[in-house]
Amino acid sequence: MPHQCTTCGRTFPDGSKEMLSGCPDCGGNKFQFKPAGATEEPAGDDAGSPGASADPSPSTPEGPTGSTADQGTSDGAAADPTPDERAADPSPGEAADATRPDAAASADRSSETDGTEQIADRSDEDTAQASARSEVVSPDELDRASREVENTEDPSPAEGEQPGIDALRDELNDQFESIRIVSPGQYELNLMELYDRQEYIISLQEDGRYVIEMPDAWGIQDE
Amino acid sequence: MGLLTNLRDSISRVTDGLFAADEPKRIGIYGPPNAGKTTLANRIARDWTGDAVGPESHIPHETRRARRKEGVEIERNGRTVTIDIVDTPGVTTKVDYKEFLDHDMEKDDAVRRSREATEGVAEAMHWLREDVDGVIYVLDSTTDPFTQVNTMLIGIIESQDLPALILANKTDLPGADVQQIANAFPQHETIPLSALEGDNMDEVYTKIAEYFG
Repeated sequence: MPHQCTTCGRTFPDGSKEMLSGCPDCGGNKFQFKPAGATEEPAGDDAGSPGASADPSPSTPEGPTGSTADQGTSDGAAADPTPDERAADPSPGEAADATRPDAAASADRSSETDGTEQIADRSDEDTAQASARSEVVSPDELDRASREVENTEDPSPAEGEQPGIDALRDELNDQFESIRIVSPGQYELNLMELYDRQEYIISLQEDGRYVIEMPDAWGIQDE
Repeated sequence: MGLLTNLRDSISRVTDGLFAADEPKRIGIYGPPNAGKTTLANRIARDWTGDAVGPESHIPHETRRARRKEGVEIERNGRTVTIDIVDTPGVTTKVDYKEFLDHDMEKDDAVRRSREATEGVAEAMHWLREDVDGVIYVLDSTTDPFTQVNTMLIGIIESQDLPALILANKTDLPGADVQQIANAFPQHETIPLSALEGDNMDEVYTKIAEYFG
């Protein structure tokens, strides 16, 4: 579950198109990318203070890498990746609490403090994701999705709820679509729109594409 | 866009008027699904040419492509009127394959029929805009004519200044109410008929000659 909504924490599989029009649960439009295996509870990622989580038990932040750290102190510099960690480790006393989490954060890949670094990278992740995704998703789809997100931002960025998006989509369908595919085999037709269009839809396909006959340069086609 | 389109339409209509004096008028047979449009088209074609236009069915959307029967010569009162009949798919705002499942149709066939019917409506609307010189609007006189589709189509026809004849079909059925149709569109003349039984076809031909001759 590499993509995660930063508002409600819902996760999406890699390549998911669901999130392209905003989070279906909360309407949020900010997501963070987490490489496989790096998922943690989102709550408190950025809110929880490093000191508070480190205070009660000094070993907690070291949990996943605890063994490495312990080896570091016993085996010496050879096994230790960073000198910083070693500098912090030899003083496990409670007095060093204030500096300790910072030092651990720089080395510890999965501690809560590390979450803040990921958050700082989010804007970069988003553009990278967008460009990577554009190869999978057609440009039209991406374009459409981003437009919908913009629209939901109008009332308030975080509160674009599901019904609001649906209503908006329906309204847009009513206004612009001549044929709406409700589901395969079920269609709604906007007769005025069909009548008003110069181009003529000659073939519908199940995937929602259709073939149109483009009008010639005006005035010629009437023999 | 709209301005150019209108301009183009006006020009093509003027040129049509100049050159079409002895060309047959294209008369579109329009109406909701299952009103009896194909039955009427076949009746007219058989009466005057001996051929049929297309298959008729009690299943809605049997006609999914506009079918044209050209050069139908109708004789009335010693003069001959030549028209091209265009039988169009029934116009509707919703097409649902589930409707066809009741008629012993497999789902795949029903979905395909539904898609073709939708294409047919798009085609019918396109022809109404581009390609007909007059309209025979067929209604089932056993059903309520006050529908969105009927109102919209009659409105479009009127806005195009197309000559239109409203036919109240299926008068052979017990629940037929011709007056209800006449009341719905009082600005037009309503002719009762049964295309299936051939009832009152004489009056229909007289009116066709009068309206489209």
